[in-house]
Amino acid sequence: MVNGYAPDSLREALELRAKYDVVPYAGGTDLMVENRPGVTYLFLHKIPELRRITVDENYVRIGAAVTFTEALSDERVPQLMKEAVSRIAAPAIRNAGTFGGNLGNGSAKADSVLIEFVADARLRLVSLNGERIVAVEDFYLGRKKLDLHSDELIAEILLPRTGLERYSYQKVGGRNALAISRVSFAGVFSMENGRITNVAAAFGAVADTVLRYRDIEQMLIGKTFEEAKALKADYLKAYAQRMVLTRGRVSAEYRKNVCMNLLNDFLTKFGI
Amino acid sequence: MDGIRFTLNGREVVYDGSAADRLLDVLRDIYRCTSVKCGCKEGECGACSVLMDGVLYNSCCVAMGAVEGASVVTMEGFRETERFHVLEKAFGEVSAVQCGFCIPGMVLAAEALLSRNPHPTEDDIREGLSGNLCRCTGYNAIVNAVSIAAKEGDGLW
Repeated sequence: MVNGYAPDSLREALELRAKYDVVPYAGGTDLMVENRPGVTYLFLHKIPELRRITVDENYVRIGAAVTFTEALSDERVPQLMKEAVSRIAAPAIRNAGTFGGNLGNGSAKADSVLIEFVADARLRLVSLNGERIVAVEDFYLGRKKLDLHSDELIAEILLPRTGLERYSYQKVGGRNALAISRVSFAGVFSMENGRITNVAAAFGAVADTVLRYRDIEQMLIGKTFEEAKALKADYLKAYAQRMVLTRGRVSAEYRKNVCMNLLNDFLTKFGI
Repeated sequence: MDGIRFTLNGREVVYDGSAADRLLDVLRDIYRCTSVKCGCKEGECGACSVLMDGVLYNSCCVAMGAVEGASVVTMEGFRETERFHVLEKAFGEVSAVQCGFCIPGMVLAAEALLSRNPHPTEDDIREGLSGNLCRCTGYNAIVNAVSIAAKEGDGLW
């Protein structure tokens, strides 16, 4: 075909990716809006390895070309991810849009990427030289800035199988369907033997990349409910000081207020 | 180089243009399927909805390279089916059509929904049509029409 390659295997795709100046195309829902003149696409929809969901001991592994609709009907995908993905756009977009594309577009508004941040997801990147497994926050560096080499493809998203059961997810958009997030929030909480073991919080659509502050989370790790309650004001203050938000479709002040409210709701939901 | 082969409304076709071209433009300009409307070119309005292998897509957000080997159905093909006639009658009965621009997309979205879920609730219908904007009707008549079609066409989907 003219201006495009549609390989049947990952090996062939990687050879084409290394040899030519091509743009990887999974669902097309972002790329076709951009519609770059003269572009040559590397179509990934025929590659079985990128289109499947598998499970290993630690991870649910979602192929980069798996669509949001496919993930929604797969019982192995964690509910937190499903909740976020079910609110992306509308059915026709979810039928086309993929996990790899949501990452590859490099936007802090990407709803599935927010969940990958809060869940400590890892990514498997592949090239002819082998593979790299990287943490999503080391990959997603800023607006349109990804740690992806010109000969690499995103192969899989590795989501932890456990620890995501207790969560809070909120998307604030301008309308119900077809809404681009103005602020999005995901929090994951866990406790063992009366002590907090995880209190991850991630904020989407409010800065150049998804925000997560592990050092502030540490304030509450290992604490009991009572101790965490006593620290809550300091914890919220630490977030308020740290979060420097950009202006977008809505003002930075509005975004900050919403973020702080959602963070407070998250702690309250789990009794803190 | 080989062209892009696909099936359009049951007919085998070969597209010799660029794999980066939009399915929407190709359907309208090359194959004259003008039921496929161009509203926004960014996947926000649903006017260009088509079925590819029975799945609903916004044709503005599909590059031709992704169409190779697929079966594409537009209103030009769907209107020949019995299911279409049930939908057409229901839309007519409750005056669910005003200017008509969104209707080809609405009807294909309804077909996609009913194929998956033949007995939808009102919420299911609103969700199924949530990617299709209508500036005339306020949606209630359209939702009502799909609900009637589901009942009248019982067994067809």
